[in-house]
Amino acid sequence: MTLSVIFVATALLLVGLAAGFILHRSDFCMAGAFRDLFLFRSTFMLRPLLLLVIVAAVLFEIERQIGLVRSPFPFFGAPTLFSLIGGILFGLGMVLSGGCVIGILYKLGGGSRLALIALVGMVLGSGLYAEMHQYVVPLARKLTFTRSITLPQLTGVSPLWWVLGSLLFGGSLLWRWQQSGQLRRTSLVAGYLQPWRAALLLAVLLAVSAAVAGVPFGVTTSYLKWMAWIEQLWFPAHVASLPIYNAQPVQMSLPFAADTLSGGAGPSFDAVALMQFPLIGGIILGAAFSSWRLREWSWHGQVPFSQMMAAFAGGLLMAFGSRLTPGCNVWHLWGGLPIFALQSILFVVGLLPGAWLGGRVVSWIVLGKEMK
Amino acid sequence: MMTAPEETVLDIRGQVCPSSLLTTLKVLNQNAESLRRGSIRVRVLTDSRDAVVTIPNAALNMGFKAQVEKLPEGHYEVVISHEAD
Repeated sequence: MTLSVIFVATALLLVGLAAGFILHRSDFCMAGAFRDLFLFRSTFMLRPLLLLVIVAAVLFEIERQIGLVRSPFPFFGAPTLFSLIGGILFGLGMVLSGGCVIGILYKLGGGSRLALIALVGMVLGSGLYAEMHQYVVPLARKLTFTRSITLPQLTGVSPLWWVLGSLLFGGSLLWRWQQSGQLRRTSLVAGYLQPWRAALLLAVLLAVSAAVAGVPFGVTTSYLKWMAWIEQLWFPAHVASLPIYNAQPVQMSLPFAADTLSGGAGPSFDAVALMQFPLIGGIILGAAFSSWRLREWSWHGQVPFSQMMAAFAGGLLMAFGSRLTPGCNVWHLWGGLPIFALQSILFVVGLLPGAWLGGRVVSWIVLGKEMK
Repeated sequence: MMTAPEETVLDIRGQVCPSSLLTTLKVLNQNAESLRRGSIRVRVLTDSRDAVVTIPNAALNMGFKAQVEKLPEGHYEVVISHEAD
């Protein structure tokens, strides 16, 4: 068991390091992808995102066919109205913060102080949500649309056909973009990695994560965990009384071991810690290494106070969005869409108005009365 | 007689997108006339890698010239100017 745990932790740390490096070099910013669609009418970053989703869908399906992963992945549940509301809150939050959950991590690795503020907001927001979770659960149960978790389950059509269909449709779009040069952009930054290349590499890393840990990239349950640890220092009885910290919804089967490891949001080193901590650490360190190699690392400062407050508020909103859905944008965009999870589809639908609103709010903060 | 343009320095190090681009656009709009006359140029200092892509693109779309350079300190400067009309 111990060897299995060390293997998984090491593999995920390496995946995280590679992901952090790739994200930093390509500036694979998901908050920007959705925000710029509305704010600057730019669809550029949505194209590599589609590439990532389709390649990940193919890889996950291959892994499922050969019995390497269980699909749908653990943590994915039935879609509720809260998946949509969570998407809206998250979309607003990520634009205010200037980065999504993983965007914040690679920007923090590059030395962004705003990213640290957003991260603190996310951890605190997770703790605030924990106080309301017990009231949200019965409501979510009532507002559940269907018990199916994925489109293949809902329609009774095998995931294979869904994957082939999206490969055909998305593939032809991507082919056209590739032919007209719309998948590339000119950048004069040192060591730039074209986002379409990053998308391919990230899809492979997602497949490795799924094979090793049973799940694609997920990080936000860790923020609940950190908050539980912090609260436990002063209010151990209160932490023990909250249902969200006591549930153990995850059962993780370890490679080379017969037994499983369970986990949840509670303050302990369990399956969730094993799935997420090495990835979080890896992404931050990978981005820091990339930045240091380019001699670009600096602890950035001198940011207007209003932008710091926006980053903090964005962190709080992302935490609430992640918990209501549940799951963050990278979980749903990179892990859920490729398996056609209904929660993820609702979440992405919600991201759009959220990102639109976020663009309006940020413009108002920066430009004030000059906003057109 | 041609005189060297005055330089406005815009230090937005630490800011991330879209604030870095919006702040720059605000300054470009405020100084659009003088920029077009060629009497000033704007030197933007940024450490946001994304902004090094978006700021020059936005400046070009507005009809200005943009020159990017990485400084020894590790951040970038984008110099935005216009040929005198």
